[in-house]
Amino acid sequence: MTTGMVKADFVTGLVLIALGITTVLASLAMPRFAELEVNPYTLPGLVPGALGLVILILGTALFVRAARAGGWRLMDRAPHRGSWRPDRGMRNLALAIMLCLAYAAGLVGRVPFWLATFLFMTLFVAAFEWPLARARAQRLRRVAFAVVFGAVVSAAVTLVFQEIFLVRLP
Amino acid sequence: MEGLAQLGQALAGFMTAGTLFNVAWATLLGIVVGALPGLTATLGVALLTTLTFKMAAADAILILICMYVGAIYGGSRSAILLNIPGTPANAATTLDGFPLARRGEAGRAMGIATTGSFLGTLIGIFFLATIAPVLAEFALEFGAFEFFWLAVFGIVISGHLTALEDPIKGSIAGFLGLLVAMVGQEGIHAYPRFAYGSTDLAGGIGLLPALVGAFGFSEVLIVMKQPAADVVRAATDRVIPRLADIIRCWRTIVRSGVIGTVMGIIPGVGEDMGAWASYAAARRASKERDQFGKGAVEGLMAAETGNNAAVPGAIIPVLTLAVPGSAPAAVLLAAMFIHGVRPGPLIMIEFPTFVSEVVAMTLLASAGILLYGLLLTRPLLYVLAVPRERLMPVIFVLCTIGSYAIATRVFDIWVMLAFGLLGFVLREMKYPMAPLVLGLVLGDILDKSLRRGLVLTDGDLGPFFTRPISLVLWVTIVITVLLSFQRVRAALARLVPGRAAAEETRS
Repeated sequence: MTTGMVKADFVTGLVLIALGITTVLASLAMPRFAELEVNPYTLPGLVPGALGLVILILGTALFVRAARAGGWRLMDRAPHRGSWRPDRGMRNLALAIMLCLAYAAGLVGRVPFWLATFLFMTLFVAAFEWPLARARAQRLRRVAFAVVFGAVVSAAVTLVFQEIFLVRLP
Repeated sequence: MEGLAQLGQALAGFMTAGTLFNVAWATLLGIVVGALPGLTATLGVALLTTLTFKMAAADAILILICMYVGAIYGGSRSAILLNIPGTPANAATTLDGFPLARRGEAGRAMGIATTGSFLGTLIGIFFLATIAPVLAEFALEFGAFEFFWLAVFGIVISGHLTALEDPIKGSIAGFLGLLVAMVGQEGIHAYPRFAYGSTDLAGGIGLLPALVGAFGFSEVLIVMKQPAADVVRAATDRVIPRLADIIRCWRTIVRSGVIGTVMGIIPGVGEDMGAWASYAAARRASKERDQFGKGAVEGLMAAETGNNAAVPGAIIPVLTLAVPGSAPAAVLLAAMFIHGVRPGPLIMIEFPTFVSEVVAMTLLASAGILLYGLLLTRPLLYVLAVPRERLMPVIFVLCTIGSYAIATRVFDIWVMLAFGLLGFVLREMKYPMAPLVLGLVLGDILDKSLRRGLVLTDGDLGPFFTRPISLVLWVTIVITVLLSFQRVRAALARLVPGRAAAEETRS
């Protein structure tokens, strides 16, 4: 197992322990309906509480295993630290997350759906295809394609969902 | 005989232009979705569910089954030509498919994959037609106790089999799924759990938006993070399979078909394990063991027969127990509920012809993959050349609007985003997704069954452990959990002569 994975398991173990404890406490706080003389075996907190307990046990097992493998050395210096720069994969990932969240959590519901989709499609295609071309003319061609592609996809999706599936778009 | 007559009637009923048109486009779309790396069968079925929910039940379910069968087959194309499995179910296909393509036999490899997928589906269909009615009748014996253990059994077995290298992660994924399923109003007192005053949360986490997020958005992120795939290789040799290849592999085909179906039936295990288990069995039984991984026809045939046989296999528990055999089957189950079909032990009583109809639908889909697989070689090569920078944003737009369209709730878009990010992080940390999905589906069954069981016995746990089916289920669960401990395996190896060597090799 890689050092990175051990550290990830260590942190995940901690998160799961916290989740397990929180779930058990929240389940205990759920109503007992004593005034209604409800059968105690039907209480709403019973199953979530049991699941919280299982998550707590599994989280502890993961945590202990990772700790034994040295996962607690979270702050150990990585050899390349100081000159750390995200690689292309990570940059692409960050850009994709940013664009997707900006579209689905930011634009959709605030501006008309067709406009949000057009902006997202155009920006996504242009942002990822821009570095693929070197010459200025080629880059401009790719941006022009992104605009046309964005318009076509936006129009098609809007029409299909609005007119054929009769969905009231956000 | 009655079953055959029903199947004949169902097939005859589907022989209309409209239905055949639906089979044609949905299977083709399934193959395209499967062939494109990053688009999985689960995503395809989930997105198509959002697009077909206004259709008649029979049409919608037919389309979804065609998508499912098509996608699992379609994944073999990219596995052979790009060395990238189109869906996780085709990972074993790359081992021998790509070496065959590299030595100029891409056409032969695609022909074998097509034949294997077709025959695998047929074997699975045979078991679907014969086992499902019997299992449904057997499932009538199931009470709250058995359903409780079935839910735990599904999570534990799926968790172990989908994460063989690290079973604890499979179990964590499964129990997280169960926990998420607890959000919202529970079924006995209508108390909104973990809702914190939000009416959206009180409505529960929708299965489809969660799946679209976990399989769609997270897949978009994974694809964009990876480097772009290499250039597609062109097929120059013949795609029509040689009869000699098929006859030589008949034992492998039958064995893989049976193994694939069994893997499909086990809750939450599905096509991926169907392919791997068939591949491993074929390798063990082969006289040309050393050729495996270097372009062995038998290996490719085993992987593709195994994964497609798991499709009808995974539908068997969907129909008879309302428990999905795989992640795409979980979406199919949700779609059946949306369309007013209630799968489960009463299926043969409430919907007596439905099992035959599903068998007929799967037969039509298998005919579709055979035709497309042998005829559309070159157009499918072009599909693989679509740049991810253009495809992925379209997929994300469909994920967003598809999640919203089911209930026209913006909250579902948030669910999709949250599960997409969670799914991405979990997958990066090697947590399998199938147990998570199974947990989401089985949460309600587990919750109601445990509480109902306890009420029936007034708190006595005895029947949970002593009723015959419950006994078998919990003993299997305990054995599975115990076997995941290294010390137990080592102790067992010392006790059983001959296992020691195997255990040493394993560790």
